[in-house]
Amino acid sequence: MMKFLKQVGDYAKETVQAAKYIGQGLSVTFDHMSRRPVTVQYPYEKLIPSERYRGRIHFEFDKCIACEVCVRVCPINLPVVDWEMNKSVKKKQLKSYSIDFGVCIFCGNCVEYCPTNCLSMTEEYELATFDRHELNYDNVALGRLPYKVTNDPMVTPLREFAYLPKGTLDPHDLPKGSQRPGRRPEEIAEELKAAAAKKEAANADAAE
Amino acid sequence: MNLAEGVQLVSFIILAVAMIGAALGVVLSPSVVYAAFLLGAVFISISGLYLLLNASFVAAAQILIYVGAVNVLILFAIMLVNKREDFQPVKFAWVRKAVTGGVCAGLFLLLGTTIITTPWAFSTETPIGDDAIYLIGEHFFSDFLLPFELASVLLLMALIGAIVLARRDFLPDAALTSDIENLKLPERPRELVSAAKTEQ
Amino acid sequence: MNSGIDLQGTFITSLTDLGLPPGLAKVFWMPLPMLLMIIGATVAILVSVWLERKISAAAQQRVGPEYVGPQGSLQPAMDGLKLIFKEDIIPGNADSILFTLGPILVILPVFISFLIVPFGQNLLISDVTIGVFLWIALASIQPIGLLMSGYASNNKYSLLGGLRAAAQSISYEIPLALAVLAVVLMSNSLSTIDIVQQQSGYGILGWNVWRQPVGFVIFWIAALAECERLPFDLPEAEEELVAGYQTEYSGMKFALFYMASYVNLVLSALLVVVLYLGGWESPIPVGFLADLLGVSETNSAVQVITASLGILMTMFKTYLFVFLAILLRWTTPRVRIDQLLNLGWKFLLPVALANLLITAALKLAFPFAFGG
Repeated sequence: MMKFLKQVGDYAKETVQAAKYIGQGLSVTFDHMSRRPVTVQYPYEKLIPSERYRGRIHFEFDKCIACEVCVRVCPINLPVVDWEMNKSVKKKQLKSYSIDFGVCIFCGNCVEYCPTNCLSMTEEYELATFDRHELNYDNVALGRLPYKVTNDPMVTPLREFAYLPKGTLDPHDLPKGSQRPGRRPEEIAEELKAAAAKKEAANADAAE
Repeated sequence: MNLAEGVQLVSFIILAVAMIGAALGVVLSPSVVYAAFLLGAVFISISGLYLLLNASFVAAAQILIYVGAVNVLILFAIMLVNKREDFQPVKFAWVRKAVTGGVCAGLFLLLGTTIITTPWAFSTETPIGDDAIYLIGEHFFSDFLLPFELASVLLLMALIGAIVLARRDFLPDAALTSDIENLKLPERPRELVSAAKTEQ
Repeated sequence: MNSGIDLQGTFITSLTDLGLPPGLAKVFWMPLPMLLMIIGATVAILVSVWLERKISAAAQQRVGPEYVGPQGSLQPAMDGLKLIFKEDIIPGNADSILFTLGPILVILPVFISFLIVPFGQNLLISDVTIGVFLWIALASIQPIGLLMSGYASNNKYSLLGGLRAAAQSISYEIPLALAVLAVVLMSNSLSTIDIVQQQSGYGILGWNVWRQPVGFVIFWIAALAECERLPFDLPEAEEELVAGYQTEYSGMKFALFYMASYVNLVLSALLVVVLYLGGWESPIPVGFLADLLGVSETNSAVQVITASLGILMTMFKTYLFVFLAILLRWTTPRVRIDQLLNLGWKFLLPVALANLLITAALKLAFPFAFGG
């Protein structure tokens, strides 16, 4: 009898606990409703991609030496490099170069290893097409300059979360001249330069 | 005939035709699923007839129990069994059908003549209608107490039986081990396509 | 007890004054409340769809629909329009008769159930004596429609969804009915009007929630399961069953399912309000306020105000529960099918039975507080 009562008591306790947890969950959901939406109204507003954004790859035909390092470092050997040995100058001459962005995973290895820096990452990410074969970019398509979100008159550029002033969550209607927390690269460079100058001056003093 | 009586007559005709048509469909339909759905239609038209007889509680109970429980369970049973079997055409199948039809017609004639010839005593009381719930309750706990309790005992037995069947640990082991093949749901034997090809 | 406004009586007498026979006058009256209720239910769908989308958006820090109409309030109407214009596809090898009949069987009982929903003393289509029982009976037709559409779609996901929906429906109907039975036991009547009337008089203190807290929770859980709302939406669990029995449907037939689910939600919320939150009664009784202001209750202006306040109170409380359902949707994860059936048969059913027994005992012990 006591065992049965204990079972019932345990069951009731568990029930109360479950109800408590559901209540906690509900309060969390309710709390979220009072927060302001952070929606970016996409076609009209766009986030500015960060500096190291890995978007579509840009390719400069004239810099390429057809060394095929990009093919070797690519996880799936994706870039297609078509070249011909030019006997007269004893150099490889590039005929065409292409990357299929329907297959590319944008890891950036090719950009990292390119000896002549002819590959680079852009901040372009809108690659939707009606046919996946249209994503197979040849050297002309790869050589097109990427557009910038900030230059598009149709689009309101918005800053990403890490570039907002401290404590701000909403990128809309920021006060003018507001900066992200921390020092900016220019400031750091200036500081380093000042420190170096100081050190040099000190060294010069010591030499005298 | 005033408006209310006309409405009553028309609805009676519609309900009766629907009920007989659906009932014939239940018997004659070759597809089990159609038969089961038509059975639901029969139950609903019966509850409509109850409504016409001013017995709204019985009508609602009819829908709740027969349509909501019995018919859904029948459908469940049909849909959970995945055995599809083509029956062998039987010789002289028409003899069976004719005999069944003859028996049914005979029963119908017998019942019909009994109903017509019996001198029914028409009650002149006005039907209780909406207060029927109270009357039903009183009957359940006075003169119909024994059948009521027996019915509940029967339901309790069914309940316990279902629990015993669902919890296999009450069944003796010997009963479980024998004929285990027959308990399995009939399914197509599965073979890989390539394996089947190499055998040939 | 003053009966408030009697629209039906005045309408019929005014028509008979014009020389029509009373029977015909009643026939003229009958379609009016039905039409009003159908329109009301349709508007209720639109409102609840809009609320669902807006509140869901707010809970996820999104904006939600905002371009069609002010604050996107016409978005549900646009959705409906889109569904009307969409092609009505009947998949090949599907059973076209059952495929068409399924959604109709799902939506009809829900709309008929509005017969018994009261918005005021005389503001309902028909004061049927079997009241809530009619609702429970009609709700039990729905699984047939679900099974029918699941079977007719000729799709395994649809069939599984239909079977799950039917299993869920019949297992949660029992605790639901038992919870209702406890309320009925206290009010001595199945009629929704009587149930509300039994809660009236003491304002918020007289409501059934205080006397039936356990029944209230059971009813709400079971009603959510009957509506197939999250956490009990496994008949249409996207991750497993695509969209359950709705998978093959498009166009107006899909719209019927969609409407049925939202009307069912609103209907369940209305019945929670009627059964446990005093229906059209306001938290502070209107009669008490009228006495305080020194106005007679039979004053026509007071009656009009009471009636409109009743409708407002009902709608307000109802949408409070719709809101709660939406909040629950974004809080609780979906249960598994075995957890669902365990909860229904092993928890809700015994608790509902115990609640019924305790209610009966309390009614015998304290007939004053628990309706003698």
